[in-house]
Amino acid sequence: MLSKRLTLRGIDVDCANTGAEALVLVEHMRYDVAILDVKMPGIGGIELEQKLSVLAPGMKFIFLTGHGSETDFEIGSVEAAYYLAKPLQIERLIEILNEVTE
Amino acid sequence: MIERLRQIFGAIWPVFYRQDNDRLNPYFTFTDYRQIWTVVISVLIANALVPLLAITIIHYQLIQKSVDSELIFRTERLVSNARRAMTFFLEERLDALRFSVNEIGYDQLTNPNHLTVILRNLKLGFGGLTDLSVIDPTGIQVAYAGPFKLEGKNYSNQIWFIECQKRNIYVSEIFRGYRDLPHIIIAVKSIRPDGTAFFLRATLETERLIQTLSSHETGAHADIFLVNRSGIIQTPSKHHGNIFEKMMLPLPSFSPRTQAVMATDEQGQSIITGYAFITTQIADTPFILMVIKQKAGMMGVWLELHSNINWFVGFSIMVVILVVTITCTLMVNKLYQADRDKAETMAVMEQNNQLASIGELAAGVAHEINNPLALINETAGYVKDLFAINEQYHKDKELIEYIDYILEAVERCGTITKQLLGFARKFDVNIQMVNLKEMILDVLNFHNKEAEYRNITVQVDVPQDNLEIKTDRGKLQQILLNLVNNAFQAVDKGCCLNIHASYNGTDKVGITISDNGCGMPQDNLSKIFEPFFTTKERGKGTGLGLAITYGLVKKLNGDISVESKENEGTTFTITLPTRIHEEVTEDEGSIGR
Repeated sequence: MLSKRLTLRGIDVDCANTGAEALVLVEHMRYDVAILDVKMPGIGGIELEQKLSVLAPGMKFIFLTGHGSETDFEIGSVEAAYYLAKPLQIERLIEILNEVTE
Repeated sequence: MIERLRQIFGAIWPVFYRQDNDRLNPYFTFTDYRQIWTVVISVLIANALVPLLAITIIHYQLIQKSVDSELIFRTERLVSNARRAMTFFLEERLDALRFSVNEIGYDQLTNPNHLTVILRNLKLGFGGLTDLSVIDPTGIQVAYAGPFKLEGKNYSNQIWFIECQKRNIYVSEIFRGYRDLPHIIIAVKSIRPDGTAFFLRATLETERLIQTLSSHETGAHADIFLVNRSGIIQTPSKHHGNIFEKMMLPLPSFSPRTQAVMATDEQGQSIITGYAFITTQIADTPFILMVIKQKAGMMGVWLELHSNINWFVGFSIMVVILVVTITCTLMVNKLYQADRDKAETMAVMEQNNQLASIGELAAGVAHEINNPLALINETAGYVKDLFAINEQYHKDKELIEYIDYILEAVERCGTITKQLLGFARKFDVNIQMVNLKEMILDVLNFHNKEAEYRNITVQVDVPQDNLEIKTDRGKLQQILLNLVNNAFQAVDKGCCLNIHASYNGTDKVGITISDNGCGMPQDNLSKIFEPFFTTKERGKGTGLGLAITYGLVKKLNGDISVESKENEGTTFTITLPTRIHEEVTEDEGSIGR
């Protein structure tokens, strides 16, 4: 659903349902940004990030988490990657996307 | 003055007497400390005092008994001595008369000159005689020797004469008679050789008798006097009536021996009455010898001993009561304090456990809800996007509005779940030096506009500008923010908010945030840190703010407490360590994981 909304806003989106699918996609395409759920079946978000950054250096990451408080977000933001707490506001996501890809 | 007394009283008054805290009651081992206190004190005091009192009473009774018998014995001895003296006095004179009538004979006796000689000799030999007279059987006085002119007087119808005729010998009681002087008549009857009777009569002065009696008086407490058989006082009495009047004491019943008994006098005082009916070997007399002793006076020494014992016993009782009371109060106080500490710990533990389990539950629920919430959010967002693009719906403001309602609701739900997770989660601790004053001013910056707009005065009172503590900046900020938020919601226009921070002991700082707003009832105070407890309208508050604050303060190894009075305001007090130890906070975590 998120991918459809981003597509509507003129962003090219490919959607992977699992970490494995994502790895396959990265092998075939070059992406600017990966939006990852921290908790996923199979490979988790953090682990996937490490694998993806090996495959595609320079790719930015945005984490979505359903298990985060605002404080979490503040702390997360201090580090390089972005954390966004679910449910997220699409406008905020777009903002951050612009920020990281500028 | 009264206030001061009350203070002193309050200091020694047992703590448990003001049983204050209903909240802790379920955790106490013993419920009624007043009862324990009273029972323990009464049992101990009884235990100590009963034997003491029993011994004292027994001792008193023994003393009383021995004193009584001693007094009676002494009185009896006195009575007996006095009686012997009295008897001897009378017998001596009666014998003298008998000797005279038998020796001298009627003819010589009736010779007045001779009679005067006899009187003089008797006076020399025994003393105490006033006159002497001889009376013939018809009662006519035939001869008289003495100071009065009584010759020829007729005694035939006088009692003494009638009695003497019957009994041959007579002793009268003391009376005034014709001459108006107290005197005693003694008379003996004799028979002349021709068979006719005649009587020799003598009058005795009472001085000698009284002297004899008073020589036996021992001390001021004894009263010795004679009464006749109808209770008329014969010789002067000190306390028990005037002479020739009725004695104020009851007349003792006849006894052939000397007697002493306990009694009470007309004023109700304890006395010992000793008495003897005086009889001589040759004649009865109308006299009863009375010896009255004031028991109180006699018992002077014993009474002193009594009073010494009383003082000692009284003092002992005071000491026992004092020591028992103080000891019991201290012990029960200690017991109570220990119990209260235990109860407090249990209460805190239970609250913590409650908060922890609620935290876990909340985190679980929040997490489970977050995912479907995200789905709703994305779906509704996508639908909105579609509407925005689609010409057909683009103009339909109402439709977009509905979608926005959904998104708003989702956002609100999101806020709640985020807070829940914040409440439950254990997050990393980021410790650094924090300047409290700056921190407080930073936090207040968020509210500057609101304060201005609502005309709320905010005072920051931090005496030390450089008051720094080592703690987690983010958490402290959130704590302060939450509490200031809370205060702003509680106060009305024109109210005042006061923030104070200072050292509170060597390694602790205290921060108080007080407002003079609406306050809250005591009932709510205990629940205020519980999650989901809110006094706001339904849907306005999550009831998590203070619960989170509580968790955060605990995470910083601190304490938070609240005092409030309805319509007077609320004060939150936070105590934080100046230096937080990282390891402790990592391990500790009663709330969430």
